[in-house]
Amino acid sequence: MFKMLNPRRFYHAVGRKKFWEFILLAVFILFFYGPLLNMVMLAFANEYSVPHILPEQWGFKWWGYIFQQQSLVTSMIQSFVVAIITTAVSMLLCIPAAFSIARFKYPGRKLFMLSFLLTNAFPKLGIYTSIAVLFYKYNLMGTYVGVVLIHMINSMMFMVWLPASAFRSVHRQQEEAARDVGAGPIRTFFKVTLPMAMPGISVATLYTFLGSMEEAQGTMLVGMGRIQTMPVAMYGIVLDSSAVQIGAVFAILLIIPSVVMIFAMRKYIGPEAISGGFKMK
Amino acid sequence: MSKKQKQRIAAYGLVLPAFLIVMLTVAYPIVSAVIQSFQDEKTGEFTWDNYTYFFTEPNQLKNILYTLMVVVLTVVIAIVVAYLLALYLRFTKSKIAKTIGTLYLLPRFVPAMCAVYAMITIIRDSGLINRIGLLFGHDIHLGMMYHASGIITMNLWFNIPFAALMITAGLGAIPDSIIEGARDVGAGKLKVLTSMIFPLSAKDVVVASTFVFMSNVGSFTTPYLMGGNHPKMLGIALFDQFNKYLKYNRSAALSVIMFLICSVSAFVYIYTNLKEKDWEK
Repeated sequence: MFKMLNPRRFYHAVGRKKFWEFILLAVFILFFYGPLLNMVMLAFANEYSVPHILPEQWGFKWWGYIFQQQSLVTSMIQSFVVAIITTAVSMLLCIPAAFSIARFKYPGRKLFMLSFLLTNAFPKLGIYTSIAVLFYKYNLMGTYVGVVLIHMINSMMFMVWLPASAFRSVHRQQEEAARDVGAGPIRTFFKVTLPMAMPGISVATLYTFLGSMEEAQGTMLVGMGRIQTMPVAMYGIVLDSSAVQIGAVFAILLIIPSVVMIFAMRKYIGPEAISGGFKMK
Repeated sequence: MSKKQKQRIAAYGLVLPAFLIVMLTVAYPIVSAVIQSFQDEKTGEFTWDNYTYFFTEPNQLKNILYTLMVVVLTVVIAIVVAYLLALYLRFTKSKIAKTIGTLYLLPRFVPAMCAVYAMITIIRDSGLINRIGLLFGHDIHLGMMYHASGIITMNLWFNIPFAALMITAGLGAIPDSIIEGARDVGAGKLKVLTSMIFPLSAKDVVVASTFVFMSNVGSFTTPYLMGGNHPKMLGIALFDQFNKYLKYNRSAALSVIMFLICSVSAFVYIYTNLKEKDWEK
């Protein structure tokens, strides 16, 4: 087995093509997963001083520390509350809009799609600051309504573009067939159209939820410290950085929802489904 | 009421709620920011001063050029690497290709802050690379923290998987049969690449580069945690104008400048997306 650790032997054992593929895989994992794995290791390091590569002492010391901090625990709860409300509200607003864009033709349709591109082109902070002025007027600063609205800005493009391209790929004939055997328009939508568009909708939902979980800049501005989500708390931790381990533990807690949701929706997530959210058709 | 009229009312009715939210949270703030950017701070009269400030003040001018350099380098490197990766994923059917094809989906969903934090644990002066160096008796100081190279590295971490995903989706739509067809009539590998695969995937490259470009012009998290003080990325310069110096009119002007930079690429995007309409219908 250890013979394989000699690069030249390894090269001749597996052949030229395989050899370069392994190199590619190694570089890929080191660059994209190395930092994350290192962070996971740090989260379980009770002691980690300078010349050591591996922690001197392993354990859950910093996990205990995080869960004793009342403010950090509340920030986790607030993050979930905001993310769930944001996802539910944007689904309710955007899925009908996506259906309308996909199925009907009317003037102004293109313009509506384009307005979402605008959110991506205009710097977010510029939008947030102008909204903040408006929010001050209507007492929305530091409220859940205000924060949810800010989070929706980021998610609406996916929530419309992705389901729209999913609805468009459902053949009209299938809907017509359902209508022919006596189903009403609403029943047709829920029994035929919606299930077939589910992959696109799931990916959009995933984006919205995770996007809301990680939004920091706008929440910081509009939440005014009263609503502090996990990423906002994380900013403080990173800049403070009294101990790397605190940041590492907290970052892992932030990643967990992503990993769980990706795993749950893995059969829907693929290059085709995701890229649909970036194409205006 | 005719059937057509009924349909139109339904179509507008479904779109309206989402449309109003977009108007409130995107269109209104942008319009008010544009108006504000032309107003004098004290008198509220029309002025160009907010704009001239950014183009005459040497530090601000440096920030703009610095941002453009970082963004252009990010786009070029990310697209080239992503294209090679996408070609590999499309045309190699091995276990390793499949593994990479799954693993490259995750970075897209990792909260930005966690990824930046993880990278910091590797490249900071007491980070992993320095510690590994010490093991071999070298005191390595990468100097990537608070430097453009750190920001670009991080941007690549985020954008290579994203761009590769977009391009893979595009390459996946090219059927094997037409490539085999071209090979059968004697086209070499290079010829197939330059006169079939490049043109057929050009649109996806444009879409990917547009979004990479736009998301990096206004990026905040990465430069906030990794960037230096001088010169600054525009996202940070904007944050400072608003948060530190409380210059609302100037920050509005900077938002508009950033928007104009982004709209160059947005224009290319819209142009290629609308052009496709003619033959893809």
